[in-house]
Amino acid sequence: MILPDINLPAILPDLNLLDNVLYTTSKSQVTPGDLIKFVIVLTFSIIFLRVIIIYLRRTLKDHVSKDVGEPILKLLYYGSLVVIFISILPLIGIDPSGLLLAGGVAGIVLGFASQNIVGNLVSGCFLMFERPIKIGDQVDVNGIAGYVTDIRIISTLIRTYDGLLVRIPNQQVFTTNITNIVGHPVRRFEYTIRIRYSDDAGAAIWLIKDLIDKEPFALLSPSPSVFVNELGDSSVNIVVRIWAPVSEWFGLKTRLLWNIKKTLEENGIEIPYPQRVLHIKSETEKKPQLAEEPNINRLEETEPVLNFEERVLN
Amino acid sequence: MYGYYDPPFSVEKDGISISLDKTGDRWVYRRTSGKDEVEKLVLGDRKRIIINPVEPLNTPKEITPNLLIEFEKTVLLAGGEKRQIFLTFPVEIGVFISDIGDKNPQLIDVLSLSRQKFTLYGEVSNGVVCKHWKSRLYSVSPDLNPLQEGVMELTLRNASSEWASISKAVFSAYGMKLYYDGDVFMKARMEILNRNTAETGFDMQPVNGEMKGYLVKDQKIRKEAFGVYSLRKLGFVPLKFYMGWGF
Repeated sequence: MILPDINLPAILPDLNLLDNVLYTTSKSQVTPGDLIKFVIVLTFSIIFLRVIIIYLRRTLKDHVSKDVGEPILKLLYYGSLVVIFISILPLIGIDPSGLLLAGGVAGIVLGFASQNIVGNLVSGCFLMFERPIKIGDQVDVNGIAGYVTDIRIISTLIRTYDGLLVRIPNQQVFTTNITNIVGHPVRRFEYTIRIRYSDDAGAAIWLIKDLIDKEPFALLSPSPSVFVNELGDSSVNIVVRIWAPVSEWFGLKTRLLWNIKKTLEENGIEIPYPQRVLHIKSETEKKPQLAEEPNINRLEETEPVLNFEERVLN
Repeated sequence: MYGYYDPPFSVEKDGISISLDKTGDRWVYRRTSGKDEVEKLVLGDRKRIIINPVEPLNTPKEITPNLLIEFEKTVLLAGGEKRQIFLTFPVEIGVFISDIGDKNPQLIDVLSLSRQKFTLYGEVSNGVVCKHWKSRLYSVSPDLNPLQEGVMELTLRNASSEWASISKAVFSAYGMKLYYDGDVFMKARMEILNRNTAETGFDMQPVNGEMKGYLVKDQKIRKEAFGVYSLRKLGFVPLKFYMGWGF
Protein backbone atom coordinates (compact mmCIF):
# COMPACT_ATOMS: atom_id res chain seq x y z
CA MET A 1 0.00 0.00 0.00
CA ILE A 2 1.36 3.33 -0.97
CA LEU A 3 0.66 6.29 1.16
CA PRO A 4 -0.40 9.42 -0.64
CA ASP A 5 2.11 12.17 -0.68
CA ILE A 6 0.92 14.40 2.13
CA ASN A 7 2.77 17.41 3.39
CA LEU A 8 2.68 16.68 7.17
CA PRO A 9 4.34 19.92 8.31
CA ALA A 10 1.58 21.73 6.50
CA ILE A 11 -1.12 19.84 8.46
CA LEU A 12 0.67 19.85 11.84
CA PRO A 13 2.19 23.27 11.90
CA ASP A 14 4.58 22.70 14.79
CA LEU A 15 5.12 19.53 16.85
CA ASN A 16 7.99 21.08 18.82
CA LEU A 17 5.68 23.03 21.04
CA LEU A 18 8.09 22.62 23.91
CA ASP A 19 10.78 24.45 22.00
CA ASN A 20 8.68 27.50 21.29
CA VAL A 21 9.92 30.60 22.97
CA LEU A 22 7.47 31.77 25.59
CA TYR A 23 9.36 34.87 26.64
CA THR A 24 12.87 36.19 26.58
CA THR A 25 14.85 37.50 29.48
CA SER A 26 18.18 39.28 29.48
CA LYS A 27 19.92 35.96 30.14
CA SER A 28 18.03 33.45 28.05
CA GLN A 29 14.93 32.47 26.16
CA VAL A 30 12.33 30.48 28.12
CA THR A 31 10.37 27.72 26.44
CA PRO A 32 7.39 25.72 27.72
CA GLY A 33 9.86 22.86 28.18
CA ASP A 34 11.89 24.98 30.61
CA LEU A 35 8.74 25.86 32.48
CA ILE A 36 7.71 22.19 32.74
CA LYS A 37 11.24 21.26 33.85
CA PHE A 38 11.01 23.93 36.55
CA VAL A 39 7.67 22.60 37.78
CA ILE A 40 8.86 18.97 37.67
CA VAL A 41 12.10 19.69 39.55
CA LEU A 42 10.23 21.72 42.16
CA THR A 43 7.54 19.05 42.58
CA PHE A 44 10.08 16.24 42.91
CA SER A 45 12.12 18.32 45.34
CA ILE A 46 9.06 18.86 47.53
CA ILE A 47 8.19 15.16 47.45
CA PHE A 48 11.80 14.19 48.11
CA LEU A 49 12.08 16.63 51.01
CA ARG A 50 8.81 15.41 52.51
CA VAL A 51 10.02 11.80 52.34
CA ILE A 52 13.28 12.81 54.01
CA ILE A 53 11.40 14.73 56.72
CA ILE A 54 9.06 11.79 57.39
CA TYR A 55 12.05 9.47 57.62
CA LEU A 56 13.89 11.84 59.94
CA ARG A 57 10.78 12.33 62.08
CA ARG A 58 10.47 8.57 62.55
CA THR A 59 14.18 8.19 63.24
CA LEU A 60 14.34 11.03 65.75
CA LYS A 61 11.08 10.08 67.47
CA ASP A 62 12.73 7.92 70.13
CA HIS A 63 15.77 10.12 70.55
CA VAL A 64 14.63 13.72 70.46
CA SER A 65 11.54 15.20 72.07
CA LYS A 66 8.85 16.50 69.73
CA ASP A 67 9.21 20.10 70.83
CA VAL A 68 12.88 20.08 69.85
CA GLY A 69 12.65 17.90 66.76
CA GLU A 70 9.74 19.63 65.02
CA PRO A 71 11.30 23.12 64.77
CA ILE A 72 14.53 21.59 63.47
CA LEU A 73 12.66 19.57 60.84
CA LYS A 74 10.61 22.58 59.78
CA LEU A 75 13.72 24.70 59.49
CA LEU A 76 15.38 21.99 57.43
CA TYR A 77 12.33 21.59 55.17
CA TYR A 78 11.68 25.25 54.45
CA GLY A 79 15.39 26.12 54.30
CA SER A 80 16.05 23.37 51.73
CA LEU A 81 12.99 24.40 49.75
CA VAL A 82 14.17 28.00 49.52
CA VAL A 83 17.67 26.92 48.42
CA ILE A 84 16.23 24.59 45.75
CA PHE A 85 13.78 27.22 44.54
CA ILE A 86 16.50 29.83 44.14
CA SER A 87 18.87 27.40 42.46
CA ILE A 88 16.30 26.38 39.78
CA LEU A 89 15.16 29.93 39.03
CA PRO A 90 17.60 30.14 36.04
CA LEU A 91 15.43 27.47 34.36
CA ILE A 92 12.68 30.04 33.95
CA GLY A 93 15.13 32.74 33.01
CA ILE A 94 15.37 34.49 36.34
CA ASP A 95 18.83 35.32 37.56
CA PRO A 96 18.90 34.81 41.35
CA SER A 97 21.49 37.55 41.70
CA GLY A 98 18.97 39.90 40.17
CA LEU A 99 16.63 39.06 43.01
CA LEU A 100 18.87 41.00 45.33
CA LEU A 101 18.16 44.16 43.38
CA ALA A 102 14.61 43.30 42.46
CA GLY A 103 14.01 41.99 45.94
CA GLY A 104 14.58 45.42 47.39
CA VAL A 105 11.80 46.98 45.37
CA ALA A 106 9.57 43.92 45.29
CA GLY A 107 10.10 43.44 48.99
CA ILE A 108 8.71 46.85 49.76
CA VAL A 109 5.69 46.26 47.52
CA LEU A 110 5.12 42.75 48.89
CA GLY A 111 5.76 43.93 52.40
CA PHE A 112 2.93 46.43 52.22
CA ALA A 113 0.67 43.96 50.46
CA SER A 114 1.28 41.09 52.83
CA GLN A 115 2.51 42.61 56.04
CA ASN A 116 0.23 40.39 58.16
CA ILE A 117 1.53 37.23 56.53
CA VAL A 118 5.13 38.37 56.81
CA GLY A 119 4.50 39.46 60.39
CA ASN A 120 3.13 36.03 61.22
CA LEU A 121 6.04 34.39 59.43
CA VAL A 122 8.64 36.39 61.32
CA SER A 123 6.80 35.84 64.61
CA GLY A 124 6.72 32.12 63.82
CA CYS A 125 10.49 32.11 63.38
CA PHE A 126 10.97 33.94 66.68
CA LEU A 127 8.60 31.54 68.42
CA MET A 128 10.66 28.62 67.14
CA PHE A 129 13.95 30.14 68.25
CA GLU A 130 12.99 31.90 71.47
CA ARG A 131 10.66 29.08 72.45
CA PRO A 132 8.42 30.72 75.03
CA ILE A 133 6.08 27.80 74.35
CA LYS A 134 6.78 24.30 73.09
CA ILE A 135 4.67 21.62 71.47
CA GLY A 136 2.84 19.77 74.25
CA ASP A 137 2.91 22.69 76.71
CA GLN A 138 -0.25 23.80 78.48
CA VAL A 139 -0.63 27.50 77.83
CA ASP A 140 -3.03 30.39 78.10
CA VAL A 141 -2.71 32.73 75.15
CA ASN A 142 -5.00 35.70 75.21
CA GLY A 143 -7.61 33.83 77.21
CA ILE A 144 -7.38 30.66 75.14
CA ALA A 145 -6.13 27.86 77.37
CA GLY A 146 -5.12 24.39 76.27
CA TYR A 147 -2.33 22.22 74.87
CA VAL A 148 -0.02 23.46 72.11
CA THR A 149 -0.39 20.86 69.38
CA ASP A 150 1.75 22.51 66.70
CA ILE A 151 3.76 25.64 66.05
CA ARG A 152 3.60 26.28 62.33
CA ILE A 153 5.37 28.86 60.26
CA ILE A 154 2.31 31.16 60.18
CA SER A 155 0.12 30.01 63.06
CA THR A 156 0.05 28.11 66.32
CA LEU A 157 -2.50 25.39 66.99
CA ILE A 158 -3.97 24.97 70.45
CA ARG A 159 -6.27 22.17 71.57
CA THR A 160 -8.43 23.59 74.29
CA TYR A 161 -9.26 21.55 77.39
CA ASP A 162 -12.70 20.82 75.98
CA GLY A 163 -11.20 19.47 72.77
CA LEU A 164 -11.59 22.38 70.38
CA LEU A 165 -8.84 23.21 67.90
CA VAL A 166 -7.96 26.90 67.91
CA ARG A 167 -5.61 28.41 65.33
CA ILE A 168 -3.93 31.57 66.53
CA PRO A 169 -1.81 33.68 64.15
CA ASN A 170 1.80 33.70 65.32
CA GLN A 171 1.91 37.49 65.43
CA GLN A 172 -0.85 37.43 68.02
CA VAL A 173 0.89 34.72 70.01
CA PHE A 174 4.17 36.59 69.96
CA THR A 175 2.81 40.00 70.89
CA THR A 176 0.34 38.97 73.59
CA ASN A 177 0.85 37.75 77.15
CA ILE A 178 1.52 34.02 77.25
CA THR A 179 1.03 32.06 80.45
CA ASN A 180 2.90 28.80 80.23
CA ILE A 181 1.23 26.61 82.80
CA VAL A 182 3.95 23.97 82.60
CA GLY A 183 6.87 26.37 82.16
CA HIS A 184 8.39 25.34 85.49
CA PRO A 185 8.80 21.81 86.78
CA VAL A 186 6.61 22.37 89.84
CA ARG A 187 3.73 24.58 90.86
CA ARG A 188 1.81 25.43 94.01
CA PHE A 189 -1.89 25.25 94.75
CA GLU A 190 -3.87 26.34 97.76
CA TYR A 191 -6.98 25.52 99.77
CA THR A 192 -8.72 27.39 102.54
CA ILE A 193 -10.26 24.95 105.01
CA ARG A 194 -12.79 26.40 107.46
CA ILE A 195 -13.38 24.75 110.83
CA ARG A 196 -15.61 25.64 113.78
CA TYR A 197 -14.32 27.78 116.63
CA SER A 198 -15.07 24.89 118.96
CA ASP A 199 -12.77 22.54 116.99
CA ASP A 200 -9.10 22.01 117.76
CA ALA A 201 -7.18 23.83 115.01
CA GLY A 202 -3.93 22.11 116.06
CA ALA A 203 -5.50 18.69 115.54
CA ALA A 204 -6.90 19.75 112.17
CA ILE A 205 -3.48 20.96 111.04
CA TRP A 206 -1.90 17.70 112.17
CA LEU A 207 -4.47 15.63 110.26
CA ILE A 208 -4.03 17.69 107.09
CA LYS A 209 -0.22 17.44 107.30
CA ASP A 210 -0.50 13.69 107.74
CA LEU A 211 -2.66 13.42 104.62
CA ILE A 212 -0.19 15.53 102.63
CA ASP A 213 2.65 13.33 103.82
CA LYS A 214 0.88 10.23 102.48
CA GLU A 215 0.45 11.76 99.02
CA PRO A 216 3.46 10.84 96.83
CA PHE A 217 3.07 13.84 94.53
CA ALA A 218 2.83 16.42 97.33
CA LEU A 219 6.46 17.48 97.25
CA LEU A 220 8.70 17.37 100.30
CA SER A 221 10.64 20.33 98.97
CA PRO A 222 9.45 23.06 98.57
CA SER A 223 7.72 22.03 101.75
CA PRO A 224 3.96 22.30 102.15
CA SER A 225 2.59 24.80 104.64
CA VAL A 226 -0.55 24.47 106.75
CA PHE A 227 -1.45 27.30 109.13
CA VAL A 228 -4.30 29.28 110.66
CA ASN A 229 -4.60 32.25 108.37
CA GLU A 230 -7.68 34.04 109.63
CA LEU A 231 -10.20 34.11 112.44
CA GLY A 232 -13.26 34.56 110.27
CA ASP A 233 -16.83 35.55 111.07
CA SER A 234 -18.08 32.00 111.20
CA SER A 235 -14.95 29.87 111.16
CA VAL A 236 -11.26 29.50 111.84
CA ASN A 237 -9.65 29.55 108.39
CA ILE A 238 -6.73 27.18 107.76
CA VAL A 239 -4.69 27.75 104.63
CA VAL A 240 -3.05 24.72 102.98
CA ARG A 241 -0.33 25.33 100.39
CA ILE A 242 1.16 22.40 98.50
CA TRP A 243 3.76 22.14 95.76
CA ALA A 244 3.37 19.41 93.16
CA PRO A 245 4.94 18.41 89.82
CA VAL A 246 3.22 20.33 87.01
CA SER A 247 2.03 17.11 85.42
CA GLU A 248 0.31 15.96 88.61
CA TRP A 249 -0.96 19.04 90.44
CA PHE A 250 -4.53 18.99 89.16
CA GLY A 251 -5.18 15.34 90.01
CA LEU A 252 -3.63 15.83 93.42
CA LYS A 253 -5.63 19.00 94.07
CA THR A 254 -8.97 17.40 93.28
CA ARG A 255 -8.19 14.18 95.18
CA LEU A 256 -6.72 15.71 98.31
CA LEU A 257 -9.45 18.26 99.00
CA TRP A 258 -12.09 15.58 99.37
CA ASN A 259 -9.76 13.44 101.48
CA ILE A 260 -9.18 16.38 103.83
CA LYS A 261 -12.93 16.93 104.17
CA LYS A 262 -13.60 13.26 104.91
CA THR A 263 -10.71 12.90 107.36
CA LEU A 264 -11.65 16.02 109.31
CA GLU A 265 -15.25 14.87 109.60
CA GLU A 266 -14.19 11.40 110.70
CA ASN A 267 -12.27 13.07 113.50
CA GLY A 268 -15.16 15.24 114.61
CA ILE A 269 -13.93 18.42 112.99
CA GLU A 270 -16.62 19.99 110.89
CA ILE A 271 -16.79 22.70 108.29
CA PRO A 272 -19.30 25.22 109.69
CA TYR A 273 -22.11 26.90 107.84
CA PRO A 274 -22.05 30.70 107.86
CA GLN A 275 -23.63 31.81 111.11
CA ARG A 276 -24.47 34.96 113.00
CA VAL A 277 -25.19 35.28 116.71
CA LEU A 278 -28.19 37.43 117.55
CA HIS A 279 -28.65 38.97 120.98
CA ILE A 280 -32.27 39.83 121.62
CA LYS A 281 -32.98 42.38 124.23
CA SER A 282 -35.88 41.54 126.51
CA GLU A 283 -38.59 43.92 127.58
CA THR A 284 -36.89 44.07 130.97
CA GLU A 285 -33.80 45.67 129.50
CA LYS A 286 -35.86 48.06 127.41
CA LYS A 287 -37.95 49.15 130.38
CA PRO A 288 -35.77 49.14 133.46
CA GLN A 289 -38.47 50.97 135.44
CA LEU A 290 -40.48 47.73 135.62
CA ALA A 291 -39.22 46.17 138.79
CA GLU A 292 -40.35 42.55 138.81
CA GLU A 293 -41.23 40.26 135.93
CA PRO A 294 -42.81 36.87 136.30
CA ASN A 295 -40.54 33.84 135.79
CA ILE A 296 -42.09 33.11 132.43
CA ASN A 297 -40.52 36.30 131.00
CA ARG A 298 -37.09 35.14 132.10
CA LEU A 299 -37.57 32.04 130.05
CA GLU A 300 -38.26 34.19 127.00
CA GLU A 301 -34.86 35.87 127.42
CA THR A 302 -33.11 32.60 126.78
CA GLU A 303 -35.60 31.40 124.20
CA PRO A 304 -33.94 30.19 120.99
CA VAL A 305 -33.88 32.69 118.18
CA LEU A 306 -35.92 30.49 115.90
CA ASN A 307 -38.76 30.17 118.39
CA PHE A 308 -38.68 33.87 118.99
CA GLU A 309 -39.03 34.57 115.27
CA GLU A 310 -41.80 32.02 114.96
CA ARG A 311 -43.67 33.69 117.76
CA VAL A 312 -43.30 37.11 116.20
CA LEU A 313 -44.38 35.86 112.80
CA ASN A 314 -47.33 34.06 114.23
CA MET B 1 10.67 -14.13 94.81
CA TYR B 2 13.26 -12.86 92.36
CA GLY B 3 14.21 -15.28 89.63
CA TYR B 4 13.22 -16.94 86.37
CA TYR B 5 9.94 -18.85 86.10
CA ASP B 6 8.61 -21.14 83.40
CA PRO B 7 4.81 -21.09 83.18
CA PRO B 8 2.58 -22.26 84.68
CA PHE B 9 3.85 -20.95 87.98
CA SER B 10 2.69 -19.18 91.10
CA VAL B 11 4.79 -17.39 93.69
CA GLU B 12 3.79 -15.58 96.87
CA LYS B 13 5.75 -13.54 99.39
CA ASP B 14 5.25 -10.53 101.68
CA GLY B 15 1.63 -10.11 100.58
CA ILE B 16 2.53 -10.21 96.89
CA SER B 17 1.13 -12.97 94.74
CA ILE B 18 2.23 -13.46 91.13
CA SER B 19 1.06 -16.23 88.83
CA LEU B 20 0.85 -17.19 85.18
CA ASP B 21 -1.71 -19.91 84.53
CA LYS B 22 -3.29 -21.41 81.47
CA THR B 23 -7.02 -20.80 81.13
CA GLY B 24 -8.37 -22.54 78.03
CA ASP B 25 -5.98 -21.73 75.22
CA ARG B 26 -4.59 -18.56 76.72
CA TRP B 27 -2.23 -17.64 79.51
CA VAL B 28 -3.42 -15.31 82.25
CA TYR B 29 -1.00 -13.22 84.29
CA ARG B 30 -2.31 -12.27 87.72
CA ARG B 31 -0.73 -10.15 90.42
CA THR B 32 -2.17 -9.08 93.74
CA SER B 33 -0.50 -6.81 96.23
CA GLY B 34 -2.70 -5.49 99.00
CA LYS B 35 -5.77 -3.99 97.36
CA ASP B 36 -3.95 -3.69 94.06
CA GLU B 37 -4.86 -6.32 91.46
CA VAL B 38 -3.54 -6.72 87.92
CA GLU B 39 -4.69 -9.24 85.34
CA LYS B 40 -3.33 -9.52 81.81
CA LEU B 41 -3.76 -11.96 78.97
CA VAL B 42 -0.64 -13.41 77.39
CA LEU B 43 -1.04 -14.69 73.85
CA GLY B 44 1.90 -16.85 72.86
CA ASP B 45 3.65 -19.96 74.05
CA ARG B 46 7.21 -20.78 75.03
CA LYS B 47 7.53 -17.67 77.19
CA ARG B 48 9.36 -17.12 80.42
CA ILE B 49 8.65 -14.80 83.32
CA ILE B 50 11.50 -12.94 84.96
CA ILE B 51 10.95 -11.21 88.28
CA ASN B 52 13.75 -8.93 89.35
CA PRO B 53 14.37 -5.59 91.07
CA VAL B 54 14.17 -2.53 88.83
CA GLU B 55 15.00 1.14 89.14
CA PRO B 56 12.77 2.71 91.82
CA LEU B 57 11.26 5.28 89.48
CA ASN B 58 8.27 3.59 87.86
CA THR B 59 5.61 3.73 90.56
CA PRO B 60 3.13 5.21 91.32
CA LYS B 61 3.78 6.89 87.98
CA GLU B 62 6.93 7.47 86.02
CA ILE B 63 7.38 11.23 86.13
CA THR B 64 11.13 11.55 86.59
CA PRO B 65 14.29 9.52 85.95
CA ASN B 66 16.05 10.98 89.01
CA LEU B 67 16.39 9.53 92.50
CA LEU B 68 17.36 11.78 95.41
CA ILE B 69 18.70 10.00 98.48
CA GLU B 70 18.70 12.19 101.55
CA PHE B 71 21.22 11.15 104.21
CA GLU B 72 19.86 10.82 107.71
CA LYS B 73 23.05 12.40 109.02
CA THR B 74 25.25 14.87 107.20
CA VAL B 75 28.63 13.52 106.09
CA LEU B 76 31.69 15.73 106.36
CA LEU B 77 34.43 14.73 103.95
CA ALA B 78 37.88 16.28 104.03
CA GLY B 79 39.40 17.75 100.87
CA GLY B 80 41.10 15.18 98.65
CA GLU B 81 39.62 12.26 100.65
CA LYS B 82 37.93 9.16 99.25
CA ARG B 83 35.61 7.05 101.41
CA GLN B 84 32.99 4.36 100.99
CA ILE B 85 29.63 4.30 102.72
CA PHE B 86 26.57 2.11 102.44
CA LEU B 87 23.12 3.56 101.87
CA THR B 88 19.72 2.10 101.26
CA PHE B 89 17.47 2.77 98.29
CA PRO B 90 13.86 1.83 97.53
CA VAL B 91 13.30 -1.22 95.36
CA GLU B 92 10.60 -1.76 92.80
CA ILE B 93 9.74 -5.23 91.58
CA GLY B 94 9.64 -5.61 87.81
CA VAL B 95 7.94 -8.52 86.06
CA PHE B 96 9.21 -9.21 82.55
CA ILE B 97 8.12 -11.64 79.90
CA SER B 98 10.75 -12.97 77.54
CA ASP B 99 11.27 -15.52 74.83
CA ILE B 100 12.99 -18.75 75.71
CA GLY B 101 16.67 -17.94 76.09
CA ASP B 102 15.73 -14.70 77.86
CA LYS B 103 15.64 -12.76 74.63
CA ASN B 104 13.43 -9.69 74.06
CA PRO B 105 12.43 -9.09 77.67
CA GLN B 106 9.36 -6.90 77.92
CA LEU B 107 8.13 -5.28 81.14
CA ILE B 108 4.57 -6.36 81.90
CA ASP B 109 4.17 -5.18 85.47
CA VAL B 110 5.92 -3.21 88.16
CA LEU B 111 5.06 -2.77 91.81
CA SER B 112 6.55 -1.37 94.96
CA LEU B 113 6.28 -1.96 98.69
CA SER B 114 8.35 1.10 99.57
CA ARG B 115 7.21 4.56 100.59
CA GLN B 116 6.56 6.80 97.60
CA LYS B 117 7.44 10.46 97.77
CA PHE B 118 8.76 13.08 95.39
CA THR B 119 10.75 16.23 95.93
CA LEU B 120 12.34 19.04 93.97
CA TYR B 121 16.09 19.34 93.62
CA GLY B 122 17.11 22.88 92.76
CA GLU B 123 15.12 25.99 92.09
CA VAL B 124 11.40 26.21 91.35
CA SER B 125 12.14 27.75 87.95
CA ASN B 126 14.69 25.25 86.68
CA GLY B 127 15.12 22.44 89.19
CA VAL B 128 14.37 18.77 88.65
CA VAL B 129 11.68 16.65 90.22
CA CYS B 130 13.18 13.59 91.93
CA LYS B 131 11.90 10.50 93.67
CA HIS B 132 12.80 10.95 97.34
CA TRP B 133 14.28 8.44 99.73
CA LYS B 134 15.74 8.97 103.17
CA SER B 135 18.52 6.61 104.11
CA ARG B 136 20.58 5.80 107.16
CA LEU B 137 24.31 5.58 106.64
CA TYR B 138 26.12 2.31 107.24
CA SER B 139 29.77 1.40 107.38
CA VAL B 140 29.00 -2.19 106.38
CA SER B 141 26.23 -3.52 104.20
CA PRO B 142 23.00 -3.84 106.19
CA ASP B 143 20.59 -6.75 106.00
CA LEU B 144 17.36 -5.59 104.40
CA ASN B 145 14.17 -6.97 102.95
CA PRO B 146 15.14 -7.26 99.26
CA LEU B 147 11.54 -6.71 98.18
CA GLN B 148 11.56 -3.27 99.80
CA GLU B 149 15.09 -1.92 100.01
CA GLY B 150 18.43 -2.38 98.35
CA VAL B 151 21.99 -1.59 99.36
CA MET B 152 24.00 1.07 97.59
CA GLU B 153 27.73 1.12 97.99
CA LEU B 154 28.60 4.77 97.47
CA THR B 155 32.15 5.92 96.94
CA LEU B 156 32.54 9.54 97.93
CA ARG B 157 35.52 11.43 96.53
CA ASN B 158 36.22 15.01 97.38
CA ALA B 159 38.19 16.42 94.46
CA SER B 160 38.27 19.88 96.01
CA SER B 161 40.67 21.08 98.68
CA GLU B 162 37.92 22.13 101.10
CA TRP B 163 35.77 20.15 103.49
CA ALA B 164 32.52 19.02 101.92
CA SER B 165 29.28 18.74 103.85
CA ILE B 166 27.12 16.13 102.10
CA SER B 167 23.48 15.54 102.98
CA LYS B 168 22.03 14.22 99.74
CA ALA B 169 22.90 12.63 96.44
CA VAL B 170 20.91 12.60 93.19
CA PHE B 171 21.23 9.77 90.67
CA SER B 172 19.98 9.32 87.14
CA ALA B 173 18.10 6.09 86.46
CA TYR B 174 19.63 5.86 83.00
CA GLY B 175 22.94 4.77 84.49
CA MET B 176 21.58 2.46 87.18
CA LYS B 177 22.64 -1.14 87.19
CA LEU B 178 21.04 -3.41 89.76
CA TYR B 179 22.29 -6.80 90.92
CA TYR B 180 20.44 -9.27 93.06
CA ASP B 181 20.84 -12.53 94.89
CA GLY B 182 19.27 -12.61 98.31
CA ASP B 183 19.88 -8.87 98.44
CA VAL B 184 19.59 -6.04 95.92
CA PHE B 185 22.75 -4.11 95.21
CA MET B 186 23.99 -1.06 93.33
CA LYS B 187 27.44 0.44 93.23
CA ALA B 188 27.61 4.19 92.78
CA ARG B 189 30.09 7.03 93.04
CA MET B 190 29.86 10.68 93.89
CA GLU B 191 32.59 13.12 93.10
CA ILE B 192 32.60 16.48 94.86
CA LEU B 193 33.83 19.02 92.34
CA ASN B 194 33.61 22.18 94.43
CA ARG B 195 31.59 23.83 97.18
CA ASN B 196 28.25 23.49 95.38
CA THR B 197 28.63 20.97 92.61
CA ALA B 198 29.09 17.24 92.40
CA GLU B 199 28.70 14.47 89.87
CA THR B 200 27.15 11.08 90.48
CA GLY B 201 27.23 7.92 88.43
CA PHE B 202 27.16 4.16 88.63
CA ASP B 203 29.85 1.54 88.32
CA MET B 204 29.18 -1.33 85.97
CA GLN B 205 32.07 -3.27 87.39
CA PRO B 206 31.70 -6.55 89.24
CA VAL B 207 30.30 -6.30 92.71
CA ASN B 208 32.80 -5.69 95.45
CA GLY B 209 33.83 -8.89 97.17
CA GLU B 210 33.75 -7.18 100.57
CA MET B 211 30.10 -6.39 100.12
CA LYS B 212 28.86 -8.14 103.22
CA GLY B 213 31.94 -7.49 105.30
CA TYR B 214 32.31 -10.98 106.67
CA LEU B 215 30.19 -12.83 104.07
CA VAL B 216 32.14 -12.98 100.85
CA LYS B 217 30.07 -12.79 97.67
CA ASP B 218 31.22 -12.24 94.18
CA GLN B 219 29.60 -11.04 91.00
CA LYS B 220 29.39 -14.54 89.53
CA ILE B 221 26.80 -15.43 92.14
CA ARG B 222 24.82 -12.20 92.01
CA LYS B 223 22.68 -11.80 88.90
CA GLU B 224 22.40 -8.64 86.88
CA ALA B 225 18.82 -7.37 86.80
CA PHE B 226 16.97 -6.32 83.68
CA GLY B 227 16.31 -2.62 84.07
CA VAL B 228 13.30 -0.70 82.78
CA TYR B 229 15.49 2.17 81.66
CA SER B 230 18.33 0.08 80.31
CA LEU B 231 15.92 -1.80 78.00
CA ARG B 232 14.89 1.40 76.26
CA LYS B 233 16.46 2.45 73.05
CA LEU B 234 18.05 5.64 74.21
CA GLY B 235 19.76 8.34 72.25
CA PHE B 236 22.16 10.75 73.80
CA VAL B 237 21.05 10.49 77.40
CA PRO B 238 23.65 11.34 80.04
CA LEU B 239 24.26 8.44 82.41
CA LYS B 240 25.72 10.72 85.07
CA PHE B 241 23.88 13.34 87.09
CA TYR B 242 25.42 16.76 87.58
CA MET B 243 24.41 18.18 90.95
CA GLY B 244 24.57 21.90 90.42
CA TRP B 245 22.39 23.05 93.31
CA GLY B 246 24.42 21.75 96.19
CA PHE B 247 24.61 18.49 98.06
